[in-house]
Amino acid sequence: MSLAVFLTELDELLAAGQRALAEATDAAALEAARVEFLGAKSGRLRAIQRQLGAVPPADKPAAGKRFNELKQALEAALTAARERIENQRAATVDTTFDATLPGASRRLGRLHPITQTIQELQEIMGRLGFSVADGPEVEDEFHNFEALNIPAAHPARDPLENFYLSTAATVTGGPYLLRSQTSTVQIRVMEKTPPPVRVISLGRVYRPDTADATHYPMFHQIEGLLIDRRVTMADLKSVLRLFAKSYFGGDVHIRFRPSFFPFTEPSVEVDMTWHQGWIEMGGAGMVDPHVLAAVGYDPDEYSGFAFGLGVERVCARRHGVADIRDFYRNDVRFLRQF
Amino acid sequence: MIVSWNWLREYVRPNASADDVARRLMMAGLNHEETQPVGDDLAIDLEVTSNRADCLGHLGVAREVAVLYESPLELPEPQPVENGPAVAELAKVRIECPELCPRYTARVIQGVKVGPSPAWLRDRLATLGVASINNVVDVTNYVLFECGQPLHAFDLNRLTGKEIIVRQPRSGEKLEAIDHRTYDLAAGMCVIADAQRPVGIGGVMGGASTEVTAATTDVLIESAAFAPMSIRSTARLLNLHSDSSYRFERGLDPHGVDWASRRCCELILASAGGQLAKGVIDVGTRPGERQPIVLRRPQIARVLGIDIPRARVRAILEALGCRTVRDDADAITVIPPSWRADLTREIDLIEEVARVHGYETIPEDVQVPMAASARTPLDRLLVAVRHALTGCGFDEAYTLSVVEVNWSEAFSPWTSAAALHSQLPVLRRADRLRRSLVPSLLGALRTNESLGNRDVQLFEIAKVYWQHADRLPDEPRLIGLASGGDYLAMKGVVETLLATLHVNAELKVAPYAHPLFEAGRGVELLLGGERLGFLGELSAAGRKQFELREGSSVAELGVERLLAAAVLVPKTQPISQFPSIERDLNLVVGDDVRWDDVERVVRAAAGELLARLDYRDTYRNVERLGAGRKSVLLSIELRDSQGTLTGAQADEVRDRIVGACRQQLAAELRE
Repeated sequence: MSLAVFLTELDELLAAGQRALAEATDAAALEAARVEFLGAKSGRLRAIQRQLGAVPPADKPAAGKRFNELKQALEAALTAARERIENQRAATVDTTFDATLPGASRRLGRLHPITQTIQELQEIMGRLGFSVADGPEVEDEFHNFEALNIPAAHPARDPLENFYLSTAATVTGGPYLLRSQTSTVQIRVMEKTPPPVRVISLGRVYRPDTADATHYPMFHQIEGLLIDRRVTMADLKSVLRLFAKSYFGGDVHIRFRPSFFPFTEPSVEVDMTWHQGWIEMGGAGMVDPHVLAAVGYDPDEYSGFAFGLGVERVCARRHGVADIRDFYRNDVRFLRQF
Repeated sequence: MIVSWNWLREYVRPNASADDVARRLMMAGLNHEETQPVGDDLAIDLEVTSNRADCLGHLGVAREVAVLYESPLELPEPQPVENGPAVAELAKVRIECPELCPRYTARVIQGVKVGPSPAWLRDRLATLGVASINNVVDVTNYVLFECGQPLHAFDLNRLTGKEIIVRQPRSGEKLEAIDHRTYDLAAGMCVIADAQRPVGIGGVMGGASTEVTAATTDVLIESAAFAPMSIRSTARLLNLHSDSSYRFERGLDPHGVDWASRRCCELILASAGGQLAKGVIDVGTRPGERQPIVLRRPQIARVLGIDIPRARVRAILEALGCRTVRDDADAITVIPPSWRADLTREIDLIEEVARVHGYETIPEDVQVPMAASARTPLDRLLVAVRHALTGCGFDEAYTLSVVEVNWSEAFSPWTSAAALHSQLPVLRRADRLRRSLVPSLLGALRTNESLGNRDVQLFEIAKVYWQHADRLPDEPRLIGLASGGDYLAMKGVVETLLATLHVNAELKVAPYAHPLFEAGRGVELLLGGERLGFLGELSAAGRKQFELREGSSVAELGVERLLAAAVLVPKTQPISQFPSIERDLNLVVGDDVRWDDVERVVRAAAGELLARLDYRDTYRNVERLGAGRKSVLLSIELRDSQGTLTGAQADEVRDRIVGACRQQLAAELRE
């Protein structure tokens, strides 16, 4: 085969190949064109490569050079066609796909609102340096009353105001009852820890209230206790303000109103500012010297404050819960709103 | 305590509105509930804390107002004219139970003309919401609301023997009180009796038979002191609470007994006429002098965080009725007034000074020293548990710690000790402290089922109570789970939880038969050989007991065991650079072969190269596998930490596994 004929065939092949590749409109057509021209076994490029052997030896370098140019040109055309089809496909919309369908959802459980409230209160008090202390829910009279400066004659000890247990009076500690406040934990902490003390106790407490929208015979309290040298009511007010600012945000002010609790003296009701008015936060006071003495602290050396709030009330107010019995009904339609 | 604004102003006239006075009182300790207009008067409702019995009368509130506004206080000084015979000739009084009634005084007025009360008296009582009876009874009520001391007027001529005996009731005695109900009197109560019969329940309510009526001409005025504890228990036992018992329960001014008696007689003479007998019958012990209290000046700043000037401290204490015994630069010594039984210690005086001086003077922005606070391991664990369980789709429940007896007995796998018992039911019939959370959670499932809620999965973390003979009960914290899934679904949740907590011990199950559980589907969970808890799928009987239509499974885990086994701060392991090889094995074994056995044999045979062993499926087919046979599909992942594993090595391990299973479990490999 003469060089001229070979080169002519090459030119024709190039033209045909470029046309075929350029005309392919989808991946299948492109693949067919690729196999026809660039197929490794029986493509037309492969066929013409075999004819290279028939070219006179003197013309072979020129023929080979031209063949390589052709091969590169075809491969370039293939790449270009591929990109073109790829882009084309990216630009076409699959109209059957509905992007507005809901996703494949996964159901996560929810933490109980009381847990969520406790976790947040606990976390804030943690930042203020208060560690969590735990204590029993079934208590003896010493920890629930006597050590808290509630003597036997006090009305708070009336059997109808408490859930006393029917167990026989034991040798130590007398009858048992479900604790009516978490201050019992503070006594237990002070009994085994020398000052300074900075703890919060939280958990279930029990009082014989008739269940209604704002009362339940079981509820949760969170109580803080700080004992050290030179602790004053100004410290109490300032800690409560930091606490309220952290929980509610914004610039909050604290107001004390005199009150009466057996284990604190002075005792106060704590109010905080709320929408141009005041709302009740809880009770507080300076730990009564009797209480300090009962746990072996010297009331002339150490002083301290305690404060407590009802978790249900805080939680109900924050989330707009109208009936606190909902907290214990466990209707998942309620629980899943938190 | 309802306060009449007009009445209050008879004793103190601050230059302030009723609203301002109510606000100041609230800020000084008498919480203001509301103010209602009544005619041309205002009824101001104040909440009096149990330590302030002195404020259960207008005079006490007036004293607070006088202190707060630094206004003069005008106290009546009753001097009734006595122009009758000597009182001892007209009546006798004897106390037989001085522990219940330490002091009893009586005055007698003869020739009263019982009739309607004068308008001023009716108006005063109307503001308080107290019905007017007649001009004698109204006066006793008036004086009660004036000074807090309850009084009673007897029709002297209806007292048998014209005698008062204060004693405990005799067996079987009853009394018809002035509310015309009949009360059974019991030992420990204090009755006022005449020579024959009870005529009143001391400090609580008078009797109908001797009450003052239109026909009454001679009255005996009782003013006495009763023991607070006894009054409280009597009122409670009889379920009879009166304005009188309310005050006696809280403790009254012992010096107020005689004042109230004189005041009462003075007002009866003015409103109903008559002639007051000379003198008073005064039986029992007179109150003693109070002990002085020393207030060390530096203690004020030490407690309050602010200093209060010396003169101001003294002025406040004296305005409150304290008598200064000594006033030095470093301390003041005072004797508290008789009406303030709550003032006995230095700290009590500090509180008085603080509340009158004003808590608003205490700053709210002092620097409180910082302190470290660490989260306890328990806290960390519970946070991780809650994450895992909510991640598994469980909602957190809170149920009552105390349950009814049938729930208490329904499930108590942890302890055989009897449930603790509350004397009063906490709610409805719930009086057993629970020993397990499971019944409560099944109850919550039922609640949701009855509400038509679907896919309910609940967990709760709470304490339970296990009784001991000689100490406080154990209160372990448990994690309870309940859902509509089956046994394996629940077990998967427990396994997921353990994996999340990086538990470093192996979970095993031991059969646990319980009527609540389907036979063979109840287990005790063992972690590293120690009890972790229980798990089971409910039997038909169990579902029936809790009125559940749908299938349910429950689990209960001990937090303490979990905490011991959890790794809260995991350490990372190096990740192998070399690829692993997976092989599936399909082993045909007898139906009695447990996965536990398969796992044990496979692990032992696979040796160190085994990176993972997964159970895939179980397949039964009598025709293909034969009766009593099952095919267990499992997959293994093999990896050599030192180099790339070859296919030949992997096949060798697989062959070893198959050989061991054949030998030990009579297993055949199914290709």
